[in-house]
Amino acid sequence: MKNSIITFLFISLVVTVFSTCDHDTDQFDGPNLVDRFGEFQLLEPLAINRTTVDFSAGEDVRMTARFNKSVNFTIQLTGTESGAVKLITGFDNALDETNAIWTGGTTELPFFREELVEVELLIPEAGPLNQTGSVEIVGTKTYEGSLFTDFETPPLDNIFFGNFEFELNNNTGRRNDGLAAEGNWYYNFEGTDNVVPNFFAGLIDIKSTITGNTYAPIPTTVPEELYFNTFIYADGGPHGIAVIQFVYDSNNTGAFEDGQDATFQIAGDYPLNWVGWRQFSHTMAEVGMTEEQVSKIVAIRVLLISDMNSQPNPPLQVDFGIDYLTFTAGKPLEL
Amino acid sequence: MKKNLLYPIFCLLLLCCWTSGQAQDGSSLPNREDADATKKVQFNGLGRTILNNTSIDGAILDTDTTTARRLSDGEFLLDVAINAQPNDNTEVQGILRLRNEFGGFFGAGVTVEVRELWARGLIANTVRYRVGDFDHVMTPYTLFLADEEGTVNEPEVFRPQKEVIEYEQFYTDNNSRRLQGAKLDFGLAFPVILRDMKAEGFVARIRPTDFFTTPNRFVGGGQLDFSTRSLQDSVGLQADFGVNLSSVWDDLKTGNATSGITNQVFSVDFAVHVFENEQINVQVLGEAGSSKLDLREEEKTTFSEDDTFLEAGVALDLKASKLRLSATYLDVGPDFFSIAAQSKRVAFNRNKTFYNRIGNERRLRMPTLFDLGRDRALYNYQLSEDLMAYDPRYANVMPYGKATANRNGLQFGAVYGDDSSLFDAELGVALLKEIRGQGTFELKDFRQIRLAANVHLNRILDWDKTTKITLGFQQEQTDRGGVEVEQVDLSSTLIEVGLEAELFNRFDLLLGAKMLSAEGRDYVPAIEAFNDIEDFPAAFVADDQETMLGGGIRYRFKEDVYLTVQYQQFSLERALNPTNDYDLRQIFAQYVMKF
Repeated sequence: MKNSIITFLFISLVVTVFSTCDHDTDQFDGPNLVDRFGEFQLLEPLAINRTTVDFSAGEDVRMTARFNKSVNFTIQLTGTESGAVKLITGFDNALDETNAIWTGGTTELPFFREELVEVELLIPEAGPLNQTGSVEIVGTKTYEGSLFTDFETPPLDNIFFGNFEFELNNNTGRRNDGLAAEGNWYYNFEGTDNVVPNFFAGLIDIKSTITGNTYAPIPTTVPEELYFNTFIYADGGPHGIAVIQFVYDSNNTGAFEDGQDATFQIAGDYPLNWVGWRQFSHTMAEVGMTEEQVSKIVAIRVLLISDMNSQPNPPLQVDFGIDYLTFTAGKPLEL
Repeated sequence: MKKNLLYPIFCLLLLCCWTSGQAQDGSSLPNREDADATKKVQFNGLGRTILNNTSIDGAILDTDTTTARRLSDGEFLLDVAINAQPNDNTEVQGILRLRNEFGGFFGAGVTVEVRELWARGLIANTVRYRVGDFDHVMTPYTLFLADEEGTVNEPEVFRPQKEVIEYEQFYTDNNSRRLQGAKLDFGLAFPVILRDMKAEGFVARIRPTDFFTTPNRFVGGGQLDFSTRSLQDSVGLQADFGVNLSSVWDDLKTGNATSGITNQVFSVDFAVHVFENEQINVQVLGEAGSSKLDLREEEKTTFSEDDTFLEAGVALDLKASKLRLSATYLDVGPDFFSIAAQSKRVAFNRNKTFYNRIGNERRLRMPTLFDLGRDRALYNYQLSEDLMAYDPRYANVMPYGKATANRNGLQFGAVYGDDSSLFDAELGVALLKEIRGQGTFELKDFRQIRLAANVHLNRILDWDKTTKITLGFQQEQTDRGGVEVEQVDLSSTLIEVGLEAELFNRFDLLLGAKMLSAEGRDYVPAIEAFNDIEDFPAAFVADDQETMLGGGIRYRFKEDVYLTVQYQQFSLERALNPTNDYDLRQIFAQYVMKF
């Protein structure tokens, strides 16, 4: 009996010893110290998988590189003609298909054109790296949504412009001076409200027929889901305000009739106090339109207002550019 | 579920048990057998007066126009323990505290509070119970309060202040934790093979609910300890073994809380007397077990982590030589987590009560030997659900005591001496290694040497008055290889020297010094929930020298009643940043009376 107990105790001890020494050591705890505090080394230089890319055909650009530690990196792609910039950022020890793919989008407007794009790898921790390359765009990215107009083709009589009170100057109109946010053309407004002190510098009515349809084509009729998107260019002058109105066919004539069809506009408008192109997106519910009304948009009216309350005397010129008016469903236009 | 098993087990054993009386802790009564124990109500307690004057100077204060150069503080305190015995089987005690801060004027700064309340007794002359405040300790891996850093064998001159901290934080000599709840214990005796069995069970609430998102938190568990009769008389073979369960859990039925944790630690401990005669005793002893940590949300377990530990070794008692030698293998898994064993005494990230920030930039002053020796605000007796911060200069090898996770290796020990020896000493050596890397697959190596010795000069010189030199020494070294950024090389040395000399009858001269030097580099992890390492904020680099000197006199009116007046000086020198050097000085008088 006693021997049995001794044997039991001994076996229990042996089993216990061997069963309690197995631990998980496949990983280490916490962040990698080399990543956290080590000196940066470039193990494989920047490489780009193609020299030309056709984004319209679904192609993409993939970049690779390898480092000795995880770092904050930025790949900056700059259009040599448009000045468009795409930034790809991350924290990793390698660039690969998971973190360094470009599908043609942009981070800072304008859109990329068919142009040569310079690629640069930036790693702040590493100082100057001189890791550069280039790729030529032969087909630009096709964006989702329903395009209303991008001013790339002459509007003919689909844009109404002209009124005896207008104070827009001759620089107003479609322009092709290299500043377009998308493509080559945009619409420019420029004027000074110094004739009739009514704040109003001028407007255009862009009829839905510019799309080839009676009503503006929209991807959804649910106002809360329907986003209007546009790009606006401003030069930082503090006295201009852009206004965009949506006109719907309230008398069911199937055509835009100034003074008879109802208009809606976003509250607060667009004070033109920044520099460069900027994207604006909002739902049509924010505009206040119903499902029936958004399905019968017959025109979009764009106005230039001079904020007389802030203007000196005599008032200064105000201006802005507008490009790429689109409708998207479910979310704003993704650049 | 496991925690609920204890109670049926107790009930079952109660049906067939036979118990023997055992003393209980915490009573103000000397012993039940004492003649005056027949009194129904007794008053005992503690009175204490401290008057303290602290000053600061040094390089960091050269341009400092904001820090007060001198502070005075102190307190007058009276704890009155009212102990009553309504009947032979019941005893209740409450401690009422009256405290007046130094500088208070009449009623200003006066607090009155209840410090302790408990009742205990005997059920059916079989099972002892205690409700209210109680102290409890199990094993170093289940429920245990490990010793604090910064001391090995504290010189007597520094003890009065430390005793105040220990009293205030309910620290006792046996590493027990102060809890509030209930506990039961009883014993059994057996006629064959097993000699006896002792059972203990307890439950306590360690955090109250806020009735919203914070649920009640409890700690509970128990022990069953068995002793065998001699299994083989020729070699004196006999074994003691036990099972231990410590559990911490959140009660999601309180308040509106939807998430909480459970942490269970189960272990088996054993001590087998392999061979014993009049000259020698050979023991195999140790403990093994596992921990489990769960996060429960909406009654579902969303996170679970478990790991094991093992401590097994051999101890050799050379009785004639008064020497005990031991060698132990230790293996505590990286994910081992025991809230009730790993919660530390020192909370390094707490605000200090004096000179918390100094300098024109009001920088936080890090805790030093001086603060650890005096500032009770740095000390903690509560249970922390996350691993608490530590200072690697004081303890880097086992900052959470034996239950420090992620260590394996060998420990060696030697203990010499008894009550009649000219000197006694205790030596411990730990050679440990990480099991899982931190921030790298490279593993740290740890080495710790601790020596505590007391030289009884009065026995050597044949004096009849107590004259003792105390020595404490701790050296720790942490190393790690790898590429440069992974390398670790931190060493620290703590030296304590003390003299306690009874110059005249009951009149003592006390002298002591503590010195800490730390040099090198390590990475101290920042811990997030469930003890995962969130980050290594920066390399911890030290080239520090702390020196604390103390001297004073003490007059012992009688046992547990004394008055001491002391002067202490502390200096911190930081070679890496000498403009932050400073000195602290204090003069204090402390009168303590236990009655």
